[in-house]
Amino acid sequence: MSKVEQGRLVDEERAPAQAWAMGAAAWLLPGAGHLLQGKWVRALLLGGAVWICFLAGLWMGGHLFVVKSGEPGSSMLYQLPPMIANLGTGLLYMVSWFMGTGFSDDPVNAARATYEYGNTFLLVAGLLNYLCMLDAFDISAGRKS
Amino acid sequence: MTHFLVMTSFAALAAVVFGIVAKETQNERVVYGLKVFVEFMVIGLALGWILYFLPF
Repeated sequence: MSKVEQGRLVDEERAPAQAWAMGAAAWLLPGAGHLLQGKWVRALLLGGAVWICFLAGLWMGGHLFVVKSGEPGSSMLYQLPPMIANLGTGLLYMVSWFMGTGFSDDPVNAARATYEYGNTFLLVAGLLNYLCMLDAFDISAGRKS
Repeated sequence: MTHFLVMTSFAALAAVVFGIVAKETQNERVVYGLKVFVEFMVIGLALGWILYFLPF
């Protein structure tokens, strides 16, 4: 095997590690995965869409899900899927968790006309960010331009 | 915020992400994004009218 071929092989082996890092960055901070790869417009559009979706969801009074054990009438099966969807927003979810924003079970909040819309926006923000994360991974791995 | 504005915002945000992620060229992205946006809106309005006539 020539040195050029060895170099290519090393580059191909390195690419997935970098791609995983880009995917993780994209998950952690929406838009960061594309930003780190110099895809400014894509970062702005994709990251902006996720950020707006998340903030609009909170503004409309949406609820962020977390698995709570021992609550009467609640099952982990009902709480886990929406929590996974919410977790897609990475740091946005974690910061909200630490600040206690969006996690309270306030009946006044739940009675708002936009409560369900808010829930949907928060869930979709996370799911959209999973798509953005895969896109950032694929770009870094050389599967997409 | 009206229900229609919320639905339009949702459709626009989802269409932007779907358009960019799903297609390769810029032209394809714009066309697909617009297609997704229109589909969300048309299906949303159609479902809204169907549910409006249901008695429950």
